[in-house]
Amino acid sequence: MSCELKAKDRTGVINPIFTCQPAGAQFVSIGVKDCIALVHGGQGCVMFVRLTMSQHFKESFELASSSVHEDAAVFGALNRVEQGVDVLLMRYPDLKIIPIITTCSTEVIGDDVDGVVIKLEEGLLKTKYADREVHLIPIHTPSFVGSMISGYDIAVKDFVEHFAKKADKTNGKINLLTGWVNPADVTELKSLIGEMKVDATVLFEIETFDSPIMPDGNHVSHGETTIEDLESTANAIGTIALNRYEGAKAAQFLENEFDVPAIIGPTPIGIRNTDTFLANVKKMTGKAIPESLVRKRGIALDAIADVSHMFLAGKKVAIYGNPDLVIGLAEYCIDLEMEPVLLLLGDDNAKYGNDPRIKALKEGVGFNMEVVTNADFWELENRIKNEGLELDLILGHSKGRYVAIDNNIPMVRLGYPVYDRAGGFRHPVVGYAGAIWLAEEMANAIFTDMEYKHNKEWVLNVW
Amino acid sequence: MPYHQFKCSECIPERLHHAVDKGETEDLTDALPLGYLNTIPGTISERGCAYCGAKHVIGTPMKDVIHLSHGPVGCTYDTWQTKRYISDDGNFQLKYTFASDMKEANVVFGAEKMLKKNIVEAFKAFPEIHNMALYQTCASALIGDDINAIAEEVMEEMPDKKVFVCNAPGFAGPSQSGGHHKINIAWLNQMVGTGEPVIYSKYVINYVGEYNIQGDQEIMKDYFHRMGIQINATFTGNGRFDDLRCLHKAQLNVLECARSSEYICDELRTRYGIPRMDIDGFGFEATADSLMKVAHFFGIEDKAQEIIDAEYARWKPELDWYAARLKGVKMCLWPGGSKLWHWAHMLKSEMGINVVSVYTKFGHQGDMEKGVSRCEPGTLAIDDPNELESVEAMYELKPDLIMTGKRPGEVAKKIRVPYLNVHGYHNGPYKGFEGWVRLARDIYNCVYSPAHQLVNLDISKDEIPTDKGFVTRESLSDANLSDEIKNSTELREYTGAYDPIPALRKKAESNVYTFPDPETGEWRVVPVETLRNSKIVDVE
Repeated sequence: MSCELKAKDRTGVINPIFTCQPAGAQFVSIGVKDCIALVHGGQGCVMFVRLTMSQHFKESFELASSSVHEDAAVFGALNRVEQGVDVLLMRYPDLKIIPIITTCSTEVIGDDVDGVVIKLEEGLLKTKYADREVHLIPIHTPSFVGSMISGYDIAVKDFVEHFAKKADKTNGKINLLTGWVNPADVTELKSLIGEMKVDATVLFEIETFDSPIMPDGNHVSHGETTIEDLESTANAIGTIALNRYEGAKAAQFLENEFDVPAIIGPTPIGIRNTDTFLANVKKMTGKAIPESLVRKRGIALDAIADVSHMFLAGKKVAIYGNPDLVIGLAEYCIDLEMEPVLLLLGDDNAKYGNDPRIKALKEGVGFNMEVVTNADFWELENRIKNEGLELDLILGHSKGRYVAIDNNIPMVRLGYPVYDRAGGFRHPVVGYAGAIWLAEEMANAIFTDMEYKHNKEWVLNVW
Repeated sequence: MPYHQFKCSECIPERLHHAVDKGETEDLTDALPLGYLNTIPGTISERGCAYCGAKHVIGTPMKDVIHLSHGPVGCTYDTWQTKRYISDDGNFQLKYTFASDMKEANVVFGAEKMLKKNIVEAFKAFPEIHNMALYQTCASALIGDDINAIAEEVMEEMPDKKVFVCNAPGFAGPSQSGGHHKINIAWLNQMVGTGEPVIYSKYVINYVGEYNIQGDQEIMKDYFHRMGIQINATFTGNGRFDDLRCLHKAQLNVLECARSSEYICDELRTRYGIPRMDIDGFGFEATADSLMKVAHFFGIEDKAQEIIDAEYARWKPELDWYAARLKGVKMCLWPGGSKLWHWAHMLKSEMGINVVSVYTKFGHQGDMEKGVSRCEPGTLAIDDPNELESVEAMYELKPDLIMTGKRPGEVAKKIRVPYLNVHGYHNGPYKGFEGWVRLARDIYNCVYSPAHQLVNLDISKDEIPTDKGFVTRESLSDANLSDEIKNSTELREYTGAYDPIPALRKKAESNVYTFPDPETGEWRVVPVETLRNSKIVDVE
């Protein structure tokens, strides 16, 4: 009975779990209002990131490329940043923020993006756009460092660092850094703290990613976090960063720079972690946890009681994806009497070894568990096909779908991206609502599998 | 000149020459937008990069190949599970992708050793696969890794493995198209001429520029096989690595997507004297003409006519059922590169659809030349479109649907224009006779969606019709149809399967095709094993 943390021992990647840093920074940028990022690199670095977003959300998001071609790769491409900024500002009159996100190519050729931002601020912005509020934010996300996760973390910090501005008094709010979540997660988080009568600056406010077709006009999906929101983060009562690896850098920055106290984690997946989240909110704001949340929690516990020890207990699960999501899910699965035997984290972040949650798993689990870092999908598939790993369930995003399909293992689609099931972004995984959805969705996946395989499917005749 | 001035692009004057309204009387040469020029940064263009043009469009449809990209992981991630090029032997090319996963230390100290280790690992994980395509990316190109040398080394140490190298980093050209060109020439230089195929028919073609999207290649393969024609290799949909090493051994190159693959055809003509014949496999008339053209080459017109007669009899009444109901539908035909000229005239002549705009993301002027010539006067043609121009065009033209890619389709949705996917297709295949009916069916389902009719109602202002609980598609599509058409006993809706490909594969497995012996000319059944897996002999 042990939990082992180890890195994949192959050099390369067979079927990647993560994409690279610029994608994470781009995801952050679409959460901000009046903001279009200019990604400094080849066109594919934007085109495919937009495609994946549109597959996940079934929406299109605005992101621009500096379109680095061969000449630029040889002679430097800063002129393309200058032109790109100008073209964006000319054509998008409401645009206020242009993050300039670097990629592998422009980092390798050594383009001085910080320098060109100063040049633009002193030149183009002063002359041509003197009467407009324009912010250019260099964000360095070379693709050969970290992963989409660190790209997200860096970009959140760069946004906050650029805007945060100390005022005379507190704004009476908490900063809530959600990490890489879905619109439904934001809805649930806002509902929880709303019940506690706590006012929060949600970073990033992405509920509107789920946008409507309206009878007129053009409703382009974008986030709702404003410049004012970002500025006032320096004046909050405190910051709660739900995820250690997606947003904690910014929380730490606000604490160090502006004495805004930070609480990092836990990712509020499952009842226990949601309880802790509420306790943290209470501690930070002094606001009580109301009866309504006791009730909401009770409904979740009621739902869990229906499925956990009868159907979920003893089920072996593999989980892959964003580290905070994976760890949070694993913790919840253990509470549901399941056995998350394999966790796959798609990058090689050295901090995983010191993550208290992973340490706790190493000390506490009552079954054999592996946590593989720098993992790819072959780590999962090879164990199933060639090493006898038996699983009852897989939790993760759509890129791993064939591991489930080809090995006849039921799977619940979670995380990013989910494109092979409808409406994935519409379901929360955090909070009490997330706990209900997860428990029931896992049970339903197992039920469907029982029926396909005629494996005691008659049990459900009378459930 | 009939250039089209987009309001949103008045501030970037160089865009003016990238859009034209085709005039009534103008000569074609007056109505050509510029094409394949560098993208203007910040326009939110829809273009991709040369790497994806090489790897994702042309390389990866090859089915028995480990596709390994040398670079950071993102390029690989992006070009995996974002297209629908299937194969007839288990979809290895869709399911698996490989990255060398270049990290900072590799950028500083070089990544060649790591790459070699990577290649060996990949072959070890899939011992049954003997071929690899190795793709350069921006990062590995810029640090100057000599991946050709690594490939040579590996092949020396592992003599049963073959490694093809494609040097098309993302920045190598204004769009995907740069990568198409590079991989065409790379394949020709490195691989063609290294294999000796089994020739089992008197008539041998290469089928070039066909990527088996949802089974397109398998539809066309059935026609060619029914004519007794051997497909020596398909470049590259559903294609075998080894077959493609034998491209020099065909009598004719039958070229479908001339945008992505004309380069290899032209070089095969120059170097090996193989003629190039451009065909269109989309549309009844176009497919029939194309089969007949190929038949003319070999003198087997009767064989082609047999197929055309049979397919028209089977499918034309179904196409016409839709055509009667699609007449006058307004469409923006906004594909990537070649479908504007494959489709524009066929949509008009066989479905009565008015194509009010065509665009191309990565086409060259030649594509516009073909595309614009096949459009009606008044059509708006746009090169390298960007988001604001597309939206402006849709507001101006008010199309009933657009045919474009997944993400631009989401843009259209928000201004209440439904879309069909022309890259991966909605419910393809769309090639050949049955495929064209499937496209008509998909257009019909899209345009006459009763749910879509509800998007313009503003329940806060408009009178809400309360008399109906549902509306049928037919009541929308048939409102103005004559009784003769409505009550026709000849016309009918599509009657094929959800997926027609499994039946074709089953047919192929039952040894039904006959081919004329290359020596004697005698027609005889060629067993499926020869058709699918004939052994290619290595030659120097």
